[in-house]
Amino acid sequence: MQTVFISELKPFLDAVAEDMDLYVPKNAGTHYVYNRYDPAAEAPVEFNNIRTCTPIKEFLFPLRELAAVFPEPLEPKDIKPFAVFGLKDCDLRSIEILDKVFTEEEFEDPFYTARREKMFIISSDCSEPAESCFCTILDGRPFAQSGFDLNISQVKDGFIIEVGPQKGKDFIEKHSQLFTETGEALLSEREENRAGTQKQLEQNNAELKFDTSIKEIVENSQDSEVFDFEAQNCIECQACTRVCPTCHCFYLYDTKREDYFGKMKMWDSCMRLAYAEVAGGANPRKVLGDRIKHRLMHKFSYFLDRYGIDMCVGCGRCVDAEAGGVDIREILKKLNEELKGKDKTKAKVAK
Amino acid sequence: MSQNLYQPINSEIVDIVDESPTIKTFVVVPEEKIKFKTGQFVELTLPGEGEAPFTPSSSPADTEKMDITIMKAGRVTGLLHECKKGQKVGIRGPYGNGYPIDDFAGKEVYIVGGGVGLAPIRSLFLTLIDRIKDFKSVVCRYGARTPDDFIYKKTLFGPWQKIDGVHMKLTVDEANGEWKDNVGVVTTILKRDDVNIANAVAVVCGPPIMMKFATLKLLEFGFGAEQIYISMEKNMSCGVGKCGHCMIGKYYVCKDGPVFTYDQIKDYPNIWD
Ligand code: SF4
Ligand code: FES
Repeated sequence: MQTVFISELKPFLDAVAEDMDLYVPKNAGTHYVYNRYDPAAEAPVEFNNIRTCTPIKEFLFPLRELAAVFPEPLEPKDIKPFAVFGLKDCDLRSIEILDKVFTEEEFEDPFYTARREKMFIISSDCSEPAESCFCTILDGRPFAQSGFDLNISQVKDGFIIEVGPQKGKDFIEKHSQLFTETGEALLSEREENRAGTQKQLEQNNAELKFDTSIKEIVENSQDSEVFDFEAQNCIECQACTRVCPTCHCFYLYDTKREDYFGKMKMWDSCMRLAYAEVAGGANPRKVLGDRIKHRLMHKFSYFLDRYGIDMCVGCGRCVDAEAGGVDIREILKKLNEELKGKDKTKAKVAK
Repeated sequence: MSQNLYQPINSEIVDIVDESPTIKTFVVVPEEKIKFKTGQFVELTLPGEGEAPFTPSSSPADTEKMDITIMKAGRVTGLLHECKKGQKVGIRGPYGNGYPIDDFAGKEVYIVGGGVGLAPIRSLFLTLIDRIKDFKSVVCRYGARTPDDFIYKKTLFGPWQKIDGVHMKLTVDEANGEWKDNVGVVTTILKRDDVNIANAVAVVCGPPIMMKFATLKLLEFGFGAEQIYISMEKNMSCGVGKCGHCMIGKYYVCKDGPVFTYDQIKDYPNIWD
């Protein structure tokens, strides 16, 4: 793929902001959140070395939106083009997952699709993964593999920009005066950086080893007690599903306004007790442990069966957000141990 | 049709029939024709208040209007029960798979229903009797709590029972003065030789507890799990396989169901809850 070089971020970001609304990461102390880019701001935009706390779904599938209006039907408004800077490989893969659900041919979500088409994606490499990052277990990388318009890699003297398909090319062409060529030396510096971070991640996750696929592990956990055990630590804050970039549960509710009735679409959480309750009171997942189990089954078995990919990118956001201390990696580890135990017993019986 | 899948089609309630103390049938006329297959469901919106899923109880052949039979069970259904003729409502759908009627051809169709479960069954029944010659027979077993709780009384007690090829038996959990027929839950009127199981399919629809025991009884009679069709009632919101509310195991009830063979879902936990 084509690459170009720029020594500073600001002129690049200014050029993006000339063309469209731009959102950039802002250091909030322990993590990054997204803010609207202000070219006049004094503080420079920080290159986020790790994913933001904000899940990227917010840009495509906002916390709450108007989905229908009575009596006059609502069609998606003209969404203005917008750009988001600083997405990581896990974020790009989370978009791939959401695309499966919301742009499905049979039932396409017009609001999601409208935003998706207008989104200009500027991803960047990771260089400081957190302890909670376990993307490498789920085929993730600390650098974008595909799905971006532009990807930025920080090197000693500046930034290498890798140019994605059409939209990215058009942008670079339009602003070509900003960029210079990238030589071999810069590219090998990038490769070195990437390999370094990759190695760091692999070391981080050296302990997280499974004896078989995660799918098989969770599918064999139907009568495991691990979920009820973990549930003791869960305070049902639902933070895991909020910050998760792939969780996409929502509910529709109706509202009255002065001159119209509206139907709103709002994020929901499968961890909520009444989530699956019907009007008559029946509820297949009354028990918290069953809800935790369902969440994992959905991520690693059901979604995979239906769409061909896992519904988790290993970004570790849920691990960081967990107020009670439930750690998806620990659950998987325990289930793996359990399955190993079962297999041994089976093997013995077979002898 | 609207491009927005969350946008209901404007509709009007043109008639309301009191079926039982807790059940009413609403006759709804949508501004655009809605074609559905029997067993599919629609999302009915009471503007400003809420939305709930219902399986129409009318025949799909009637494309001008749609009957929706509703039991008062929660907030939205309670408010719907207070509605008068002329009320504007919204309809999204139809959603889901519906009954595989063509697969029933040449077979005995054994229908077991309870309570408001007769609503989807009525639509199925009307579809079946439209082409009754295609099926070996239609055998119906239906139970209500008391004689007052029967719905579609006018047709249920008269015309439907006289159709050639239809065999109907009714029961109540508790009798009152005039009731001369069976007393006992619906499973007490299911008999092994009601149909020739080798060439039959069973359709079960009603409150979860009734579906559970009816299904167990049918299995005991020798029905294969793949011969039993169940219409699942689950929490639904979007109706289009996205919001996640309706999931049982890997299935989205709204999209892959609501009609399942027992075989498809039997291994998932708590399917009747
Ligand atoms: S489940 Fe956790 S690690 Fe997986 S994508 Fe969601 S937030 Fe990231
Ligand atoms: S009702 Fe939303 S996924 Fe089924």
